Amino acid sequence: MNKPRVAFFDFASCEGCELQIANLEEEILDLIEIVEVVSFREVMKEHSDDYDIAFVEGSIMRPMDEERLKRIRSNAKILVAFGACATIGGVNKIRNQWQPEEVLRDVYGDVDLKGNKFFDVFKTKAVDEVVKVDYYIYGCPPPRDEIKKVITALVMGKKPEIPNYPVCVECKKNENVCLFELGKFCLGPITRAGCNAICPSNGRACDGCRGILSEPDTKCVEDILKRYNLTYDELKHRFTIFNYRREEER
Amino acid sequence: MKSLSKQDFLKFVNNLIADDFFEVHGVKAKGKRFVFAPLDSADELRLDYDVTILPPKKYFLPQYETLLKYDLSKSTVAVEREEKKRVIIGVHPYDLIALQQMDKVYFDTYVDNFYRQRRENTIIIGSDILTVSERSFAASMNAHTVSSGYDLMVTDIGDTIVIDIGTEKGRDLLEKHAPMVRDAQEKEIKKVEKLRESLPAKYKRSLKIEKESWKKLLEKSYEHPIWKELSEKCLQCSSCTMVCPTCYCFDVRDEVSLSTKEGTRIRTWDGCLLPDFTRIASGEIFRKEKIDRFRHRFYRKGVYIPERYNFVACVGCGRCSIACLPDIADPLSVMNGLVERKTEAGGEIVVEIPETKKEIEEVSYVPRSATIKRIEKLTEFEKLFEIELDDGKPFYYEPGQFVEVSILGVGEAPISISSPPTGGSSFELVVRRVGNVTNKLHELKVNDKIGIRGPFGRGFDAKALEGRNLIFVAGGIGMVPMRSLISFILNDSNRDRYGMITILYGSKTPQEVLFRNEIEEWKKKKEVTVKLTVDKCPDGVCWNGCIGLVTSLFPQVRWRDVENTVAIVIGPPIMYKFVIKCLHTMGVKDENIYVSLERRMKCGIGKCGHCQINGVYVCKEGPVFNYSEIKDLPEAFE
Repeated sequence: MNKPRVAFFDFASCEGCELQIANLEEEILDLIEIVEVVSFREVMKEHSDDYDIAFVEGSIMRPMDEERLKRIRSNAKILVAFGACATIGGVNKIRNQWQPEEVLRDVYGDVDLKGNKFFDVFKTKAVDEVVKVDYYIYGCPPPRDEIKKVITALVMGKKPEIPNYPVCVECKKNENVCLFELGKFCLGPITRAGCNAICPSNGRACDGCRGILSEPDTKCVEDILKRYNLTYDELKHRFTIFNYRREEER
Repeated sequence: MKSLSKQDFLKFVNNLIADDFFEVHGVKAKGKRFVFAPLDSADELRLDYDVTILPPKKYFLPQYETLLKYDLSKSTVAVEREEKKRVIIGVHPYDLIALQQMDKVYFDTYVDNFYRQRRENTIIIGSDILTVSERSFAASMNAHTVSSGYDLMVTDIGDTIVIDIGTEKGRDLLEKHAPMVRDAQEKEIKKVEKLRESLPAKYKRSLKIEKESWKKLLEKSYEHPIWKELSEKCLQCSSCTMVCPTCYCFDVRDEVSLSTKEGTRIRTWDGCLLPDFTRIASGEIFRKEKIDRFRHRFYRKGVYIPERYNFVACVGCGRCSIACLPDIADPLSVMNGLVERKTEAGGEIVVEIPETKKEIEEVSYVPRSATIKRIEKLTEFEKLFEIELDDGKPFYYEPGQFVEVSILGVGEAPISISSPPTGGSSFELVVRRVGNVTNKLHELKVNDKIGIRGPFGRGFDAKALEGRNLIFVAGGIGMVPMRSLISFILNDSNRDRYGMITILYGSKTPQEVLFRNEIEEWKKKKEVTVKLTVDKCPDGVCWNGCIGLVTSLFPQVRWRDVENTVAIVIGPPIMYKFVIKCLHTMGVKDENIYVSLERRMKCGIGKCGHCQINGVYVCKEGPVFNYSEIKDLPEAFE
């Protein structure tokens, strides 16, 4: 069997998703048994534009990002959006609350950045707002088990099966005390599972880093807030962290 | 009845913990809630608990359970069996009843040997309820006390624990680990009785309808506005089913190590509130709307399970109403709501479970090894595979039955058998490329190995069709299972036993017509008429059949002796109602129409829950149905 040639790329992000691959530690040996890594700036010097599968981390912020991403798309047979910034825009979308000029002025002051392509920014986009994405690996960062699952599926010629049900399913199986009962607003009921409910299982409310599956009915949200004595602000705050796009569309 | 002082009871529990022969689990605190978990010391045991987050079903049908382990390079399969012996302490009566219900399901017809083994390896020490959970209505369900379903039953009456021996296993355990046990005194037994008698009054919530009457009420309330009102608030998180002691549906998936060398087949809890629950490989979802899924859960509890097993699948533990954030999952509120708003009731539903095989059979999740003997490409999407079982034993099946085709590392998919029964060890499958398993199957070559489980389900009773005129109506890959029956009937040794044969077959395009050469052979047989049609014929493609839907062929049929005509209809879901309308127009009676339906048949043995049409299992009572058996089921036809 010819090993698929794999490349990793990053855009606006913390590169923590790629670090998850490096964190596979000794399992990396298994990984390179099944794929040939031809480009991975975080861990190697070599680079090649000849690859089958591209893993793209990060959000798209600038015309130059868009161009680069389109090049990657045209080189790759399969493109995988990798991590929250790539799949849903994630925390980078928080800044979409403001106009790009406002953000630049806020960060860099009155410096004239006109004509500097590095500072030519538009509103944050997820990868699939620019190019076609074949598969998604969700999460901030994506769970290593899911990364392995997607890679093995692609190598075996399968369509990766990513959960299409909410975190509550995994959280209940882990027999956690529901965070709502502890007075916390948790996005678990509407966030895509696959993380094995890692945050709620450790006492932290879900921030929705794997994306929202479906918008709850307004009446339902009101009932829940009332039942657990929570405020709309808490809900809005949680939504903004990873899912600002949704807020914007509302 | 026996008894132990509290001190001695704790000693008994500690003696159990000290015995390496088994693991001891009991009720422990987790924050302000309770869980069943391993006990390190008797001090941790909380017999005063109200309800645990998850029911003890997790010990018998674990959240994640490995069914098979395999080596992909060698195609060897090993069954994963847990031999561990366990004692579980503190199971409340409602959970004991739920476990007995689960036994009915998992020991029914096909005995699930994973479940059975766990059941046999477990000793259950029940406990009377000391604290009533706020959301529980177990007393209304008569599930607050119990007289069976335990090995030992303990009642904490203060300074003494009274113990009822339920089984020999329980007696042995007590004798070995609590030699200080004595006969209970009369006054102690009185105290237990009093405690049990005082329980119902402690429940704040009560049902306005007897559980025996749920079914009748629900049967008249299928279109009650309550379903829409409540389901609109449903988050579809399925927390209600996850925490339910009477929910037993599961999904099965294959997981492969990063080296792609080893793999496991795992089953895990699934929930019918989740949109993908009924999704099949081609993408079709059979319970599409939130309201359908929401209602299904209640009808399963109150109509489908009672019809099949004679009990209401709710014990009033209240776990679902604690877990449901918008608080719409509570069976008590829903049933009381239906009682209070009886005037708004509407929509009748009658579910009768078709009679099928009754003999008990132990079922294994291990597929039989088989070899691909021949592959024939039929169309762009379909290939025919001749499969031979490696054990060489004859493979008996009826036309219309299906097998679960297993590819290690990928999964299982239900596939109809397409060849007529021969009594040999080989058979043919025609497979459309739609999902992971079928895609992989299309990549395989002659002599490659696959796994087979089955045959499953109810096929056609070819004997019952003897002497009748037959009209076959097939749409698309509906021809695949139909071919098994047609080939059987048209076989020279069988042909004379059947009357006039008419075959109507509709495909999307001429390129998608299956078995073209065989169809030519069929046409040559005595008294056989075959009419083909396609939805559309692309430019440049040769086609001398009709253009139009399969129903457009009906005017061409020469009907003779309609009374004695039986119709066999197999096609995509959308096709049935139109074809059946045509048949009705021609005067064909409901009981003379047979259909074969497609659903998500994951386990094939009536356990996993995915393929249900209302309360009818397609994998067990189907896929072949007499139309009259299911025509009134709202979920049967679109």
